[in-house]
Amino acid sequence: MNWLKQLISRRNLQSELSEEIREHLEEKIEGFVATGMSRKEATAAARREFGNITLIEEDSREVWRWPSIESFLADLRYGLRTLRKNPGFTAVTVLTLALGIAVNATMFSLVSAFLLRRPPGLDPDRVAVITSLNPAQGFLPDANPVSAPNFIAWREANHVFADMAAADEYRTVSLTPQGQPQALRSAAVSPNYFSVLGVSPELGRAFSDGEDQPGRDHVVILSHDLWERQFGSDASLIGRNIRLNRENYTVVGVMPESFHLLGFTPQLWTPLVLTAADRTAAARKDRTLYLFARIKPAVTIEQARAELSTLARRAEETFPEPEKGWGAAVRTLPDFLIYSFGIRSALVILMTTVGFVLMIACANVAGLLLARAAGRRKELAIRISLGAGRLRIIRQLLTENLVIAFLGGSAGLLLAYWGIELVRPMMTFNEAISAVPLSLDRNVLLFALSVSLVCAVLCGLAPALTASRTDINTSLKNESRAASQSSSHNRLRTVMVTGEIALALFLLIGTGLLVRGIFLIEHQNLGFRSDHLLTASVNLDEARYKDVAHQILFVRDLLPRLEHIPGSEAVAAASDLPASGLASVALQIKGHPDLPDNQRLQTRDVVVSVDYFRAAGIPLLRGRTFTDMDNATAPRVVLVNQEFVHRHLNDQEPLGQQIRLDVSGAAPEWSEIVGVVSNVKAYSEETRDDPEVYEAFLQRPVSSFSLMIRTDSDPDGLSSALRNAVAQVDADLPLNRVMSMSAVVERQKAGNPLFVRILGSFACLALILSAIGIYGLVAYSVGQRKHEIGIRMALGAGTPDVLRMVLREGLKMAAIGGAIGLALSLPLPKLFDGILYGVHFREPWLYFIVPLAILIVTMFATYIPARRAARVDPISALHQE
Amino acid sequence: MKNSQQRDLFPGALEMMILRTLKRQPLHGYALVQHIKRNSNDLLQIEEGSLYPALQRLLKEDLVKAEWGISATNRRVRIYKLTAAGSKHLEHEVSRFEKMLEGITRVLAPGES
Repeated sequence: MNWLKQLISRRNLQSELSEEIREHLEEKIEGFVATGMSRKEATAAARREFGNITLIEEDSREVWRWPSIESFLADLRYGLRTLRKNPGFTAVTVLTLALGIAVNATMFSLVSAFLLRRPPGLDPDRVAVITSLNPAQGFLPDANPVSAPNFIAWREANHVFADMAAADEYRTVSLTPQGQPQALRSAAVSPNYFSVLGVSPELGRAFSDGEDQPGRDHVVILSHDLWERQFGSDASLIGRNIRLNRENYTVVGVMPESFHLLGFTPQLWTPLVLTAADRTAAARKDRTLYLFARIKPAVTIEQARAELSTLARRAEETFPEPEKGWGAAVRTLPDFLIYSFGIRSALVILMTTVGFVLMIACANVAGLLLARAAGRRKELAIRISLGAGRLRIIRQLLTENLVIAFLGGSAGLLLAYWGIELVRPMMTFNEAISAVPLSLDRNVLLFALSVSLVCAVLCGLAPALTASRTDINTSLKNESRAASQSSSHNRLRTVMVTGEIALALFLLIGTGLLVRGIFLIEHQNLGFRSDHLLTASVNLDEARYKDVAHQILFVRDLLPRLEHIPGSEAVAAASDLPASGLASVALQIKGHPDLPDNQRLQTRDVVVSVDYFRAAGIPLLRGRTFTDMDNATAPRVVLVNQEFVHRHLNDQEPLGQQIRLDVSGAAPEWSEIVGVVSNVKAYSEETRDDPEVYEAFLQRPVSSFSLMIRTDSDPDGLSSALRNAVAQVDADLPLNRVMSMSAVVERQKAGNPLFVRILGSFACLALILSAIGIYGLVAYSVGQRKHEIGIRMALGAGTPDVLRMVLREGLKMAAIGGAIGLALSLPLPKLFDGILYGVHFREPWLYFIVPLAILIVTMFATYIPARRAARVDPISALHQE
Repeated sequence: MKNSQQRDLFPGALEMMILRTLKRQPLHGYALVQHIKRNSNDLLQIEEGSLYPALQRLLKEDLVKAEWGISATNRRVRIYKLTAAGSKHLEHEVSRFEKMLEGITRVLAPGES
């Protein structure tokens, strides 16, 4: 029924009823007057015949009453009144819950921003992302890009997709509007890319068919951000030319601001041109494309997955050499974006942690409520004896808890608002993260609301159930000697506090492991000197630097200029910066047996200029480094690191050995090992040492590389000199990521330090909350046992005896809770190893330190009330009723 | 006590009479009472006020509806009208009542057993 309307229109209804009855009486009086009565007599007669007006009005209104709502409102008023009367109790419970809810809501804003936000476009769940599965494992092995020949073959052969597009996501282009050239991240996409995703530009048009043909491909679509920042949101830009990679490109469209695909959001898009070379078998090793496909109606993602694995197997059979072991992975777009962003596990850890904090907070509040319920026995007994049913009592107590939870939830949301403001500026460690707006959105509000409700039930059910079981007789008879009867309350609270200790210990050990792991990484010796080192990355475009001779010329021209910058001590160019995740290649060692494809030796590979080792500060251990003589015409030489010698050469004499690297796009050639350098971490965020091979830039030039300048002062001071030097060689060439090596390392840490700091504060919060819980329980039970303690002391127990007795209670909880927590946290190191790639968490001492810390905190929390108990004056305790 | 004995002939009797009266024509409260009194030849002494809670119950169950209007004596009154559901309910109640009455009559009939 439309009860809501009834509820609202009730007041109106009552005034109508009064008016109606008044009119009725008037009419009746007039009737009597017409028969000849006086007005006074008529009024009396009419009233007599009509009956008791007040009672009738009341009866009429009663009809419209909605009993449950009314009693709920009464409970609510009653609850508010009791809470107002106990401001201390209210403050503690509300604040505890507010803290718990605030940390949950704050962390949930991350979940909402990263995991719950739907990607833009039409029905993103029906878009599949197809990636390659790397048999060599490594980081996210099933999110590798796909080769162009596979894209072409799969697009034609599949029966499950309506349309398939490819995107080469990580290209860098130089944009020269006016003045300084800029390096921008761009994606080359097949013309149907936007239609597959179901998005359309906010201005202009998407790419049309045929724009992926050479000659017609000089069109570009800008991101909203670039259009706004670089072109001042100029709508007349459509149809005009801009300079990209020294060539004219016509702007055909601007994408809307909402078009964000987490890590797959470039600044601009150009058409992907597939040439004849991209169809050859050789191109199969060049895996650069992410495939986006619209699944046909009525086809499931499982069917698509099965189809793709068949196609991948077919490719493997036809081209065993490049495709051996490679498979295909299919995910829906939302799933893939989150998966490849690699943030899910961190968020799971964070949410679990705050969930535990909330449980501890709830346990504390439940403990307080239990204690209060014990104090309210008499009140409840009176209510029950006056006829209140058990359900009615439970409902009343739960309503009170609802009030507390609601207050806590509101305060928590307020705190969460600040919390989000606090976290937001920290979430800027890379572009994709900072592009995701963090806010107190609807999801967070809903979450906070439901968490508050769950809290109300969690905190309140146990106390309400026990309270409703109140035995009227004993409660009413017993005055304050409640020592024996509240034993069941205390048992429940003991269990809860023990659980709190277990959770706090678990959280502390988990956080401790992470803190220690991250600390080790931050302070590990990377194997090179990252201080006083300025870096920048260069991407030589195809337009001017198509052949290798030009690439070599550029480097030969630039490096001496950099050397002449005042303050520069050594300069180098390298295909990758040290400890920044070098590429892995397969290799063969002369004289060693050929291994099957999937067991081939792997090594990290980097191309460096002559002075690299001096600039990076990597010590040479044996042999020699490169010289200018190691050029294209000289015999190929390489350097290797210690780990290479150890793992691949079994610590045998490395100098003079010949190896052959399987680098894509370069003819494999035997090279001689001429020197050994010390290990450099493959990635600054990992503790692993991998085998590494260094090749000479003059012998294998690359078009995209980093510059390094070792300086004698603050490296950032040299950045403008670096820009000038590059501009002298090529005024149109943009420099990308000009920053000190320490900044590069800092960036690579991504969110890890932040992650650990947040976790650490939560674990501390958990510890503080459980300490409060222990203190509260012991203090309360001591207060209740005052009488008993008085008797004991009157019978001759000394202060130390009482102290021991109370302390024992706290220690028992700490011991049991600690043991449970310890058992729970045993599998943590293994779990974290799987989540944080390349870090090993082995810190056995944590398993002693943390329980010890918990024990000390428990001791303190117990000791304060215990001492108070020991000071009880037996006379006053016994007198007190 | 006297009051309720007089009013509650049996539960629902007053409602049934109201519905029956309204079925003939829409009426306001005062006129409704006069009708019931007159038609029962003043045999049923109902307290006029008790009409109102009954009307509210019927309103709540959507068996009647009420609209403000002007009476023959030119007063602002609420005129009650039977709804479709009310007319259905009345049929149902009347047939139930008749069955009950039949039962009672048989039991009360002298010398049959």
